Amino acid sequence: MIAYLVNLATLVCINAVLAVTLNFIMGYAGIFSLAHAVFFGIGAYVAAFIALRWTDSLLLQLPAAMLIAGVISAALALPALRVRGDYFVAASLGFQVLAATVFSEWKSVTGGIGGLVGIPPASIAGHAFTDPLQFLGLAGVTLALVVVLTTAIVHSSFGRSLKAIRDSESAALAFGKNVALIKTLSVFYSTAICAVAGVLYADYLSFINVESFTIDASTLFMAMVIVGGIGTVWGPIVGAVLLTLLPAALTYLPFLPRTEIGSVQQMIYGLAMVMLMIFKPDGLMGAKQREA
Amino acid sequence: MLLIQLIINGIQVGALYGLTAVGFSLIFGATKIFHFAHGASFAISAYVFYYLYAVLLVWWPIAILAACIVVVLFGVALDRYVYGPIQSTDGSFFTIFVGSFGVAVVIQNLIGTVFGRGFISVPSVLSRSVELLPGLYVAPTAGIAVVTAVVCFVALQLFLGRTNIGIALRALSESPALVRTFGLNPKAVSTCAFALGSLLVVPAAVLTSMTSGLNAAIGGRVMLISVAATIVGGVGSLRGAACAGLLLGVAENLALWRFDPQWSEAVTFLILFAFIVLRPSGFFGRVVTS
Repeated sequence: MIAYLVNLATLVCINAVLAVTLNFIMGYAGIFSLAHAVFFGIGAYVAAFIALRWTDSLLLQLPAAMLIAGVISAALALPALRVRGDYFVAASLGFQVLAATVFSEWKSVTGGIGGLVGIPPASIAGHAFTDPLQFLGLAGVTLALVVVLTTAIVHSSFGRSLKAIRDSESAALAFGKNVALIKTLSVFYSTAICAVAGVLYADYLSFINVESFTIDASTLFMAMVIVGGIGTVWGPIVGAVLLTLLPAALTYLPFLPRTEIGSVQQMIYGLAMVMLMIFKPDGLMGAKQREA
Repeated sequence: MLLIQLIINGIQVGALYGLTAVGFSLIFGATKIFHFAHGASFAISAYVFYYLYAVLLVWWPIAILAACIVVVLFGVALDRYVYGPIQSTDGSFFTIFVGSFGVAVVIQNLIGTVFGRGFISVPSVLSRSVELLPGLYVAPTAGIAVVTAVVCFVALQLFLGRTNIGIALRALSESPALVRTFGLNPKAVSTCAFALGSLLVVPAAVLTSMTSGLNAAIGGRVMLISVAATIVGGVGSLRGAACAGLLLGVAENLALWRFDPQWSEAVTFLILFAFIVLRPSGFFGRVVTS
């Protein structure tokens, strides 16, 4: 039972990192990306590739994954500089589809549909995180660092410029803000940290395949941010906790066939998204922000 | 010969893409709602047709009629009970997108649960290929697809140009305030847009169920293609959406000449991506970067 809870808590931490980074570009930069799972996947594949061929050192995997994800994020930043709103969503959706094809076809690196098996556990300075409890600690510390760092950026002058661009791009431009640079940097930051979650995921599960990085995953991450409350500090974390625990909770419903749990889960959060948009577009944590 | 074969297949697929995209573009043009659940409309009508025609063995005109009725009801219900309430409180792009996307997710999984996630296809003599020239196979569905697409498009243009409702639809896309001034109810006109736009997916849905088959995730694919065709063609331009749909269909099939079939979706995306980066206004559209 303890092992089960530790496993859930670790996954919650990893998903929360994803939701926080997605919220950073969605909530503060106004970039509604449906391609977040791509960068999660890049992080995971880079970590797995390095771990299987060269080293299990986390200190090497992390910078490599962040750098590669950050460079590829240019593919997302480019349309974000040209169009906004629905157009960008469409572009990111297309990017997600393309990336999923690459993940499943580039067999020499990603192992194709079968994925990569037997990824060794991560280690820092020779200490391997084989104990699940220790790994939970690692994931928890990472989450805490990401939340602190992201909040600090949001409250810095960079964060204020970002919100200014979200609310009115031309006004920000008129005030002398370098809109293109600020947008590109924010996408770079979001995707690089997203790749960190991917590294943790690959090292934790020791098995990855394309199924975790498809459009369904991107939708799930977006749902976490929206259900929790977009543009808030705690919203994405609350959303990540709720939506990660949902499938676990559904397994306790005896009348549900196990093969249908995935679908039922997606139906529930799809419905939650619709209902929230009709009755409470700010998300669950949105109201608190309004009171403040 | 392979090239000609691919182009013919491309035109068949492209005609259906164009028709679906025109429906999407019509809704978006008139109501400014980015109807991500358009793919769900497609899936619903295709599965209704499949269930009635191939499982319950209903006579095909009745099956098609039923598909039309269900999909129109679905479109109108979405407009009334999802988009309407969202627009009356908070009309921002984001809330509408999320609501629409949520509906698409629910429908896809509902279909997956009810009909299974595997591939299904409706058996029909119409999709049996005939050898026209040595090595060149064409099925009657190819001709039907092209003819239906042209007929629907011409009928739509006549409807929009000649009838009062059609003119009201075009007026709504220009200025909702003026529509109200002239004593028309913008909500009623928007309902018409949804009914008509949703209706346009039926021919494509029925023919697709006979040719390339269906699966539960088809809605997402159709959505991507409709959105891509609308953007590539230029937002608000029905002609653009139809041409772009055709272009995407042909391009997707021509890609098979050199690449594996898994990459055909990637071609759609590359075209969309190139247009968004290089020419966001599309073929015929105005620049919308706001």
